[in-house]
This record gives sequence, structure tokens and C-alpha cells, in this order.
Amino acid sequence: MTESHDENEEEFEFSRNYFLAKELAGSGKKSTHKLSDISIVDEQELRAATADIEPKHEREIASLINSYKALYSKWVFELRCGFGLLMYGFGSKKALIEDFASTALKEYSVVVINGYLQSINMKQAMIAIAGVLWDQLKNKGRDSSGSFPKGQQPFSSQSIDSLLAFFDGPQVEENDCCVCVVVHSIDGPALRGAEFQLLLARLASCSHIRIVASIDHVNAPLLWDKKMVHTQFNWCWYHVPTFAPYKVEGIFFPLILAHGNTTQSAKTAAIVLQSLTPNAQSVFKILAGYQLSHPDEEGMPMDNLYTICRERFLVSSLVTLNSHLTEFKDHELVKTRRHSDGQDCLYIPLASEALEKLLSEISD
Amino acid sequence: MAPSVTDSSPPSTTCTSENNLQQFFVLHKALPPNSERKSTGTGKTRRRINLSPSLPESLEKSEVERAKEYHELPYLKLRMEAFDIVWSKIESTIKDVLRDINNSVFQEINHWVRESFNTIRSCGMPNFAEATRPFPIVTDPTSKQIFTGLVLTKNMEFVDDILAFEELGVYLKSQGCHVANLSSVEFSAQNGIAGCLRSLLRQFLMATVDSADISILASWYMEQKNYDYPVVVIVDDIERCCRSVLSDFILILSEWVVKIPVILIVGVATTVNSPREILHSNALRHLSPCKFSLRTPAERMDSIVEGVLVKQCSGFSISQRVAIFLRNYFVSQDGTSTSFIRGLKMACVQHFSMEPLSFMLNKYLLEKDGQALGNESLPDLMLKHAFDLPSTRRNKLTEQTNEILAQGLSELKRLQNRWSTSVMCLYESGKFEKIRLLDIICEALDPESCKSRASDTHTGMEKDSSSDCLFQQYPSLQKCSIIYRAVRKVRDLPVEELHKLLKRWGRLTVDIAEIHEKVKELQSLLKSENGRSSKQDLNNTPRRHASQSQNMIEKETKSINEKAATLLACLIRDNMQPIECLTFHEIVCFKNVDELRLALIGDPRRRIQADLLEFQKILQCSCCSRSGNSLSPSMHDTSIMYNLAQEHGDLINLHDWYQSFKSTVLCPTNKKKHKSKQSPLTKKRKGTSELENQSEASFQARFCRAVMELQITGLLRMPTKRRPDFVQRVAFGL
Repeated sequence: MTESHDENEEEFEFSRNYFLAKELAGSGKKSTHKLSDISIVDEQELRAATADIEPKHEREIASLINSYKALYSKWVFELRCGFGLLMYGFGSKKALIEDFASTALKEYSVVVINGYLQSINMKQAMIAIAGVLWDQLKNKGRDSSGSFPKGQQPFSSQSIDSLLAFFDGPQVEENDCCVCVVVHSIDGPALRGAEFQLLLARLASCSHIRIVASIDHVNAPLLWDKKMVHTQFNWCWYHVPTFAPYKVEGIFFPLILAHGNTTQSAKTAAIVLQSLTPNAQSVFKILAGYQLSHPDEEGMPMDNLYTICRERFLVSSLVTLNSHLTEFKDHELVKTRRHSDGQDCLYIPLASEALEKLLSEISD
Repeated sequence: MAPSVTDSSPPSTTCTSENNLQQFFVLHKALPPNSERKSTGTGKTRRRINLSPSLPESLEKSEVERAKEYHELPYLKLRMEAFDIVWSKIESTIKDVLRDINNSVFQEINHWVRESFNTIRSCGMPNFAEATRPFPIVTDPTSKQIFTGLVLTKNMEFVDDILAFEELGVYLKSQGCHVANLSSVEFSAQNGIAGCLRSLLRQFLMATVDSADISILASWYMEQKNYDYPVVVIVDDIERCCRSVLSDFILILSEWVVKIPVILIVGVATTVNSPREILHSNALRHLSPCKFSLRTPAERMDSIVEGVLVKQCSGFSISQRVAIFLRNYFVSQDGTSTSFIRGLKMACVQHFSMEPLSFMLNKYLLEKDGQALGNESLPDLMLKHAFDLPSTRRNKLTEQTNEILAQGLSELKRLQNRWSTSVMCLYESGKFEKIRLLDIICEALDPESCKSRASDTHTGMEKDSSSDCLFQQYPSLQKCSIIYRAVRKVRDLPVEELHKLLKRWGRLTVDIAEIHEKVKELQSLLKSENGRSSKQDLNNTPRRHASQSQNMIEKETKSINEKAATLLACLIRDNMQPIECLTFHEIVCFKNVDELRLALIGDPRRRIQADLLEFQKILQCSCCSRSGNSLSPSMHDTSIMYNLAQEHGDLINLHDWYQSFKSTVLCPTNKKKHKSKQSPLTKKRKGTSELENQSEASFQARFCRAVMELQITGLLRMPTKRRPDFVQRVAFGL
């Protein structure tokens, strides 16, 4: 009774917060400050500074992570009983899980999948798991080799279905032979796709496989349906915040202050332009000049540009102009958008001051 | 700046930096079997490594040491074994229960399969040459019908039915059909029709075939040993299948149905009309459907609860709070018995992993005549633990010996059996009121009811007290309670149903002699009443007289009803002792509902935010907790940032956010965050100290990292091209 009351309260709280936030955004004048108002340091410097940020609370974090060690035996117990372990909470859990795996899971082989990377070849990972499991089965008993005729065929040439069938083979003895698959950031960019999750779920439900995974995203549970949660992954949740920095996990995330900042893009644009032919540079200059002199317009109409370029003998035909423009577009120097009167027009996605800076740089 | 975590960890994790960018890697291989045996040895060395000098040693020792005493003894292994035994008992009980409950439907389906098969066969059989040609036989269109069983699952969630369809497959196989189970995932647009066919071939031919060609299936079917048996294809959930793939599949099957007598069984979650909505019309006209229905989830639940929790198949039991939690989990989460079973398993695992004496359940289960421990005796440490349980302390047992423990356990078992008998009797009468067993259990487990009973002076069975009186004596069984309703119902039952009820009670109470006798008594009383009434019916007595005697008989049966209700009330009073009131119950009963809730229902959305907003509580650092509500520069950067973000609307201006972050971090004294937020620009200009200039890069780096961490947790949406200077908040409030 009290529980449902609490829940209602929470829901109310949530919706109230939401509307408060909306109101705050609507009523109060929206801040017009630009990111470019901050004097942002050079990207290289920023990256260097990121690398040696002074850690805070090192002692407390260490003892927090150490305190989880008392849970290791419980985790092993649950893993053995057929549950998958799912670690969540703020902070990188990579070191924690790997420490758990290498101290408490000595009797299992452990294969680690780094889900925080940009892409993962699951098939290759499964082949590696199969190899490890095969070794383990061979070690356990000589007679078992007879019951796995597929072992003769190299795993790399087997289909995913037959690999899964191999993982789901009968256990000779109860909990005799298992490979523990550790998946860091199972909700990471590489594994977010539905097909990856289906495959991981099928993998997790195999008799020779145990799974330990971590999630970082607040909405990670939306990746799974009832079947996956209840019968395949069979998660046992653990809230283990570590507050350890997401060092490896964040490696592929752009730094917000380095990304999309004007000096930066003007600089890259200059590098690209300098590598182009003088004619192409001149075409770009015309476009830039037009944009600077007509700051309120949405862009330069295509035929307008063509006329000017022809007049200045920069291009001889529309084909040559188009080839220049394709080059610009590929490097994101120029974009098209629909003009209010319906025709396509070209513009350079840079602020005026950045554009001026760029023009001065390529004129040098 | 390697965190000191890795310092205290074994070297294997420190040298894995090159592994961090590998897609996957083998962390280590399993130890060979012989070295694996001495697991306690490795446990010890691990502990020595773990003790990093920075830790307050005394605190860690007491906690870890105690855990170690219980966990790293050989008893851990015993507990694991006990869990395996107990859970396999529960699991097989559930399987049996579900099989029984589906049995009648399965038989019906089997019968229909046979009939359909005969109908197909009556259209004529192809000869061998015809059948092995790699194209279908062209006959009249009427022979292209596929017999299709639509199995209504009456359940919006399909998880429960996966098992049911698997069981159906096994059953039909045992009846001599060729069966393939296809899941709806296989009917995806991505896999296409080839995926389904390949899966069919794999299941029928027992081998992987690369080409997805149905003619392979036809020639397989022509083999001597396969011929003469129907081919059944089961699809678990038609609503989740891809429309076009399923339609194509049906078209192909219908082309080949003379060669391969396929009978289709599909699960339907909504209504019989759904195939009409899902399939293309040209596929639909090949179906000749027949309807079956499975039992409802609630019925299934009742049988599971009866088998596992009431009849005590395993000896494992749960406390009232856990029962209520599991009921709510069932009702409010998704109403699937799968989730309930999962919850139960989790409870079981938690019990065995936390209760040091739980391994005794195994022996407790096997014990027949008060020999719970057999000849073994527990070491002192364990014995001390047993007599230190709250339930034993409550009863102030003076002697602490193995014998007392053994006796206590067998008494526990005896009382538990009585409890289940009482609950089953209640359930039998509750069935007339459509009361769910789980609801009865939640009340029957209530430890409060026992306390109030204990406070009442035990007067024994009073012959003349009515059931109402009995309840008045026990205030916890209030009028609104389900148990009360079940008892009340007995008083209003018509004779035939009362007769049935008494018969069932008779069967249930065989073990409790005194109750059993009373039931018999009532039964004979009722029989004689019945005999009298039927005799009077037979005799052609005058009408008026008949109605008079009818009245009298009714009155007398009413009194029998009353007696039965009183009997039930007494049964409850004297025998339905909730497990939490019994001595040593902690050994077999799982009570830690909080632990169960945490393990079953992860709540990352709330918890991760709470981590950031209240990180001092988790880290327990001395520097930040002092500052109370205001943000102190010593706090975790991401935590500061998230706290600051709370003051913005759904959009956060990156510039403002950066400035307020910077001023919070810079501010050496604990300035109020509001103040610092108001004048970020002036502050920036004012603070021209060299330190600031030097560390501008580092502030920006810290800001970037905090934003990145918030992005990883999904609490922020990054700037878009339309709004390059704003990030968007995703979560509002915990």
C-alpha cells in the first residue's frame, strides 16, 4: 500500500519536475551566450590537459571499489546458479569487473568484449569463445572429444547458428565447463543494435556460457524485451557505482569544447582549401564574399554563382563548377539548402568572423 | 593517474591497457582441474593482496572476516549443492504443474492433428517418382489447404507461452509427429523466407543445410522412416512475425502440402481474427483453421504457487513480505508466470548465498523421522549461529546442542505441513469465491496474525463457538480479509458443493488425524441428511408436508454448513502458523525482500542520477559532506556539473554552464551556488590571477570530461546543428 503510494508520489514528482524544467526554458529569457564566447584553448592543449586531470577522492574511490570485494563470492554464487550479472551505477566499472573475473572466476575461462568501442565483430568474438571452450572441454576429459564432432571443422568456418549450438551443448557434469563472457558497456555504441542484443541474448542463454556485463546509460534496459530479460540474460542487477573516470569508455567521444568550435573548423577548412587548385579556391572565395556581403540571405543561388564564375573565367561549364562543388561538399566546406523562393542555394557553414579569418588565411 | 584500484589488484589487470582497444580478448583461461580444487588457498592469497594499506584496516577486517568465515568454508560448496537440489526440485515441480495444466489442450491438439493428417492423406498420396521431383505437384486448388491450429494464449506477453509451445512440441513428438518449433524472430524481414526454411531443415534433418530448398524437405519426408507421420510446424507468436515472410511461408507450404503433409500450429495472443489482419489474402485462403485455447496466466500461477509454495516440494519457503513483493511483481510488472518464477529463483539464490545454514535444507528435505542432521553434527560456529537466530533467541532455548536443532527442524517441518494443509483447505473453499491462492498465501503468511493468536489464551476447540465468534477472537483476521471471505463462503454453499468440498478436505487432511475425523463426521452427517432428503423425494408424500420437511432439511444443512465453517476456522486457528513465527525458520525461509528487489529490478535511471546528486553518501568522504547542500569544489566534477544542470530548464546553455562550473570549482570558500551563477562573466574578468590563466585549459578539460561522462550515462543530449550552444537535459528528477 505504502509502496504504491510512494510510486504515485514519485510519478507526480517526475511530471512536476518535467514541467518546471519546460517552464524554466520557456518563460525565462533563453540565454543567448555563445559557446564561442569562451576563449577555448587549442585542441591539442585541451587533450593534453584531459590526460592529466588531477583525480579527486582517490582514497575514497579505492576503498569503495575495495568494499565490493566482499560481494565477489556472492556474485560467483549467482553466476553459477544461472544468473547473468549486470553492473550499473556511475563510474567506469571496467577495472572492477576485470578484477572480479581474474580473482574470483579462476575456474572459468574469461573472454572480455569491449562494448564501448565503435564496432565489434561478434562473429570473431564468438569464434574466440568457441576456441577457448574447446580447449577447456578437451582438458576436462579425453572422451568428450567424441561427442563434439564439429570440433574437427575449424570454428572460423562455422555459421553463427552452429557456434551457438556448440555453446549450448550438453553439460557433462553439472556446471562443469563454462566460459564467462564479460561485456563492458553492453549498451555501448558497438552493441546498441537490435541484432547484436539478440545475438548476445542467445549467447547468454547457452549452457556453456556465463555472462557478466555492465551498463552505463540510464535507458539501457530499453534494449531488451521480456524474453531476453527473463529467460535469456536472466539478469541479477547490482548497483555498483565506482566514480572511477570513464577513461577508455570515453575515448571515442568528441570533446565538447573542441568539437564544432569556430577556430577549429576554420583551421581545417584552410588546410583543405590550400590543397585545392587556385581556380577552386577562387570559386570558394566568390561564395565566401557573397555570404559576407549578404549576411541575412540564406545562401547564394547556384546560377548566380555560375554566372560570376564564368565571367571571371574560373569555370567553362556547369560540369566543372559542379565538380568543384562536390569537392567542397565532401569536405563539408559548402552546404546546400532550399531558399525561401524554392531554389537550392549554397552556403558555407561558418560564422562571419570565422569566414573572414579563413579568407585571410588562404590569401596569404 | 592510474586509480589506486588497479594498484591493489593483481597485476593481470594492470597490464591490459593494450587490451582496452581490442574488440575482445581472452582475459585468462580456466585453471586445469587439479589446481582448481584448492580454491580456499587462492582465496587466502587474494585477501592478502586486497588489503591495500590505505584502507582503515579494522573496519575492513571485521566485515570481510565475518563474510569469509561463512563463505570460504567448505560449507559454501554444500550450500551450492543444496541450491542445485532444491532448485531442480522446484523447477521440475513447475514443469510438471505446467504440463498437467496444458495436458488436456495438448491431447485435443494431438487428436486434431491426427484427423487433419488423415484428411490430407485421403486426397491421395504421391508416388515416389512424383514426390522426389524438385517441384510441387499440381493438383486441384482444394487440396492446397493447410490445416492450421490457432492456439489462443490469452496473454499479452509471449514469454510464458514459449515454454508452453516447447512442451507442445515435445508432446507431439512423443505422439509420433515430426515437429519443428519456429520462433517469431525467425520470421523477420531480414532473414526472409530462407531463414525459416533453413531452420525447418535444421530441425527436421538434424543437420545444417546451406541451401534453403523445400524440395530437400520433401525428399527427406519420402524416406521410409519418416513417411506416414504428420509434419507439425509450430510458430509461437503470429503477431510478432513479419507479415510478408509469414504469408510467403504459408504459400510455399500450401504448394507442397500433398508431398509434405504440414500441419501448422500458431500462437495467437489477441483474437482469432488476427491472422486475417496479419496475412495476405492469398495466403489466408489456404488456411483451414481450428481454435484451441491455453489456460489463463492467473490459473497457471495458482497451480505453480500451489505446487511450489504451499505443497512445499522443496522445503524452501518465503516470508510474507517476500510473498507480497512477488505478488506485486507478478501483477504490476507484466503478469507472466515467467517473471514470477524468475523472482522465486532469485529469492532462492539469495537465500542460499546469504544464509550460512541454508545447506541444511537439503537434509531437512530428506529427513523422514526427526533425523534432520543424520549422524553429522555441526561445528560450534554453525551451531552458535543457529541458536543466535532471532527466532531461537525469542524462544529462549537453554540447551544448544545438535539434538535440539534436529528436533527443532523436524518440528518446523511438521508445523509447515500443517500450515499447507490449512491453506489448501482454505483455497478449496476460496475457489467458490474465485479467490487466488497467492492472495490467500499473502495473508496466511502474516506473522502478525500469529502474535495476536499467541497473546490470546489458548482455549482449544470450542464446540459451540461459531466461526464468526472465532474470528472475533482474532482481530487480525478482519472481516475484509480474504481468509474471512473464504470461511464465510463455506456457510453459504449449497449441499452438493459442500459435499464436494468436504470430500476434498477429507483428502487434504489425512495427515492431521483430529481434523480428518471431524471432516469424516461432517461428511457422514451430510450423507445421512442427503439420504433422508432423497428418501423423502422418492416417497410420494403430500405436497405441504414435503415443503415443510424441505425447510427443516435446509435448516439442518445450514447447521452443517455452519459446522464446516467452524471447523475451517479452528483449523486455521490451530494449524495455520505462519512460518515466520516458528523456531529456526530462518534456515528455510527467505526474508530479505530488499535484497531481492534490488537484484530483480534494476533502476539505472534513478540510481545513476542519485549517484551523481548524492555522491557524498556513497563515497563517504570527509571533505564534501561538510558543505551540506552547497556545491564545494572538492566534489566530483561530473557531480558538480549535474547538480548545476538541475537549475537549468530542458536546455542548458553551454557557455553559462561552463562559467558556473568554473566559478564553483575556483571558489575556495563555499559560496552559494546561486550567487556564483548570477555573475559568471564579471567573476571571470575579476579573477585575473595567474593561477586561473594557467589552469584555463585544465578547467576546460574537466568540463569536457564531465560532459562526456554525462553523455555516456545518457543524461544529456549533445548540441545539434540547430542549437549549437545548447545541450538538452534528458532526465527530470529522480
